[in-house]
Amino acid sequence: MTAEHAAAAEQPKKRVKHEGPKKHIIAYIFSLVLTILAFAVVVTGEVRASFVYAMLVLMACVQVFIQMAFWMHMKDRGHTFPIIGILSGVVIVFTMIIMAVYWTWW
Amino acid sequence: MSGHSHAEGVLPHEPEKATLEGRNKVLGFWLFLGGETVLFGTLFSVFIALRDQVNGGPTANELFSLPVVAAATLILLTSSLTSVFAIQAMHRNQTKATVNWLVVTVLLGLAFLGLEIYEFVEYAHHGHTFAASAFSTSFYSLVGFHGGHVAFGILWISLLIWQVLRRGITLHTAPKVYVAGLYWHFIDVVWVFIFSVVYLMGKVG
Amino acid sequence: MAHGSHAVKRYKGILDWLTTVDHKKIGILYLLAGGFFFLIGGLEAILIRIQLWKPMNDFVSPDTFNELITMHGTTMIFLGVMPVIFGLMNCIVPLQIGARDVAFPFVNALGFWTFFFGGLLLNISWLTGHVPDAGWTSYVPLASTTFSNGPGVDYYVLGLQISGIGSLLGGINFLVTIINMRAPGMSFMRMPMFTWATFVTSLLILLAFPALTVGLVALMFDRLFGGNFFDPSAGGNIMLWEHIFWIFGHPEVYILILPAFGIISEVVTTFSRKRLFGYSSMVFATVLIGFLGFMVWAHHMFTSGLGPVANALFSIATMLIAVPTGIKVFNWLFTMWGGSIKFTSPMLFAIGFIPTFVMGGVTGVMLAAAPADYQYHDSYFVVGHFHYTIVGGLVSGLFAGVHYWWPKIFGRKLNETLGKLTFWFFIIGFHLTFFVQHFLGLTGMQRRIYTYLDGMGFNEMNLISTIGAITMGVGVIFFLINVIVTSAKPRTATNDPWEDGRTLEWAISSPAPEYNFAQLPLIRGYDCYWKEKMEGNREMQPAEPLGPIHMPSPSILPFIMSVGLFIAGFGFIYHQHIVAAAGLAVTLICMMLRSVIEDHGYHIEPEEIQAKGVKA
Repeated sequence: MTAEHAAAAEQPKKRVKHEGPKKHIIAYIFSLVLTILAFAVVVTGEVRASFVYAMLVLMACVQVFIQMAFWMHMKDRGHTFPIIGILSGVVIVFTMIIMAVYWTWW
Repeated sequence: MSGHSHAEGVLPHEPEKATLEGRNKVLGFWLFLGGETVLFGTLFSVFIALRDQVNGGPTANELFSLPVVAAATLILLTSSLTSVFAIQAMHRNQTKATVNWLVVTVLLGLAFLGLEIYEFVEYAHHGHTFAASAFSTSFYSLVGFHGGHVAFGILWISLLIWQVLRRGITLHTAPKVYVAGLYWHFIDVVWVFIFSVVYLMGKVG
Repeated sequence: MAHGSHAVKRYKGILDWLTTVDHKKIGILYLLAGGFFFLIGGLEAILIRIQLWKPMNDFVSPDTFNELITMHGTTMIFLGVMPVIFGLMNCIVPLQIGARDVAFPFVNALGFWTFFFGGLLLNISWLTGHVPDAGWTSYVPLASTTFSNGPGVDYYVLGLQISGIGSLLGGINFLVTIINMRAPGMSFMRMPMFTWATFVTSLLILLAFPALTVGLVALMFDRLFGGNFFDPSAGGNIMLWEHIFWIFGHPEVYILILPAFGIISEVVTTFSRKRLFGYSSMVFATVLIGFLGFMVWAHHMFTSGLGPVANALFSIATMLIAVPTGIKVFNWLFTMWGGSIKFTSPMLFAIGFIPTFVMGGVTGVMLAAAPADYQYHDSYFVVGHFHYTIVGGLVSGLFAGVHYWWPKIFGRKLNETLGKLTFWFFIIGFHLTFFVQHFLGLTGMQRRIYTYLDGMGFNEMNLISTIGAITMGVGVIFFLINVIVTSAKPRTATNDPWEDGRTLEWAISSPAPEYNFAQLPLIRGYDCYWKEKMEGNREMQPAEPLGPIHMPSPSILPFIMSVGLFIAGFGFIYHQHIVAAAGLAVTLICMMLRSVIEDHGYHIEPEEIQAKGVKA
């Protein structure tokens, strides 16, 4: 309680630097480029399907990483437990995808 | 410890994290998103397992029209950016800008939803109804769950716009807006995988 | 200070219980409701055993038998033991970490009521005559409309769906409580083992229950809206259900057993009057069991034809779990070694737990060997195995925990003589019931079959098993008598009724005041209360001056929201979609009201706390 009071009292004196929109717009452009690339690979590509699949998943993962790091502030301090929560979810989803691909039909 | 211990009119830099209630809310919501990851992951794995089982109906390649998907993707991606701007405006304690960006987000969400409904109706005309095949059931479940999340988000953010207009940005409204922003980003993140795995991979196969 | 601006809402009588957001009262509600469903599940078990006591018995019809085994398993796991676990967590965890409340009191209440109405929905099926009868695993195609027409399985689907929401909310609530609300000095590696177990369990709940949600939604879509997830004639796949169910279902058994491990760790240290042996290895083992619990689901499906690679992988992963579990067992034994042991009733249950659970673990390793599993699969060997872990393990652990913490929850100590009688009847009855079932299985008796022929060599062992089940029932009746007798006594329990309490909950009055701690305590080490006692302090050192304490307001909304879901469930089961929509609308409107109505709670002033005899 006391620490919070102190922090609140200091606020008006200290000039807080608000982050600008710049890096978020850059993240947007990156996402846009990755999306266009993904569509382009499918529309124009005459390459092997497995290669296209790998490219699509890779680009989706990169795009999601950028969005989560910047837009959802996961790169900022104090996000240890959010990262643990999301990553454990991802590990379980990964095993489920393996299940769906390899162990459903035989 | 709670809201009123701060002097009137002065908001801390990140009002959503200034109180224990706010920090609890943000962390709890992050963990909820961890659960949502598993929820959508399960739906994705079910879809991946069943996506070739068309039961004599149209295949993904015959069905999907990429221009509509591209438009929907662009709309949702942009709405994710506008919700970032809303949070930034909130951090600068600009009530009006916050509300405006949230309104833009909701409008883009509505456009996305309209496009999705149009798309579903089109597919149904081609015989791709919910009960047609295992492919159609899993497709509508996955994409429909996502669409349901968008619809819920639209209602939720609209309610928050009303609250921010009435009460302004306070230590109580700020965590709500921040958490709704996280939710909206998560919806976009899920969509990234949907357009990659469902639509684009469907066009390849 | 500027607070106290609006009146304190306080309800009395039944309305107090319906609107409470106090974690201790919600804990008691969980214990009551869980105990109630536990008795129903126990009654179903006794009926099953009566049917099987002799060959070709016709005590119940084959259909009723199917309903009994389905409802016994479902009720016991989802509505019996899980709520009792949640009850103990609610009552104890905030006290153990020095928190005044849980992170989300409102959500906590909502979690209880959704569980309760989900359970009610499931059990009302007995009154409507359409009881789920496809087994607690509800495998398709048996659970599909082709083979289970009528609303029976729909009760299973919607009842579990609604109560599952409650579990998920509870899990998130405990995670945030433990991460954000520990008292000053209570670092992660100073947390009591029960709190650690709660933490890992909650993480498992958070990550496992969404899979069940999707599975149940898929089954519901198939059954109610003509979906094709599990319908092979339209391209669906029945193996998907098995996978999804067990991706949830295996973590679920660790959700059940980890809290019991936590309870045993607390009870064993207290009554051995020794520090827990190997605390950090205990924490490590808990986390590792939690992780491995997610990687072994297909060992329930060895005979489904996954192929040698998958079977080998899941075999090895399953056997690996024996390592952290073994670490735990040895740590308990070494904690007792050289301790000055007091054989109280909770300690008896804990001592009974250890060898019993080891036996369940050993048969688990046997079942983990995929080739051998082809022989054991779907036989009474499996029934014996999982009852050793869940009844001999978990239920013993819960009895230990309930006896141990009863004075802290209710302010009265349970009668020791009756407690010991409960223990002896329960443990002897338990081994009589389930030990012989291993051999029944090896001799060839299948599970889930309503009767058997004479001359198969099953007669004597089934009779012994039935006698054992009734003996266990007598043990439970002793416990009920104990509860009634104790409730009639005055509230005389001291802060530390066992006199050897080590953890923080024993530093405050029994039962705890509604704000738990007048001043948040300063935690100076592991076993913090013991540490203070050893240094000659009778109380914890305060970490803050006495000040006004913020309390959340009670609310009826969680109750109404759950009633809405209950009505919606009924609507779906009987295809009345207007009713279903109305029910969902009630829930949604309550959610909106919760968001719109700003209720900042109220404050308890220092004068009021001092009036209750707390020194400033």
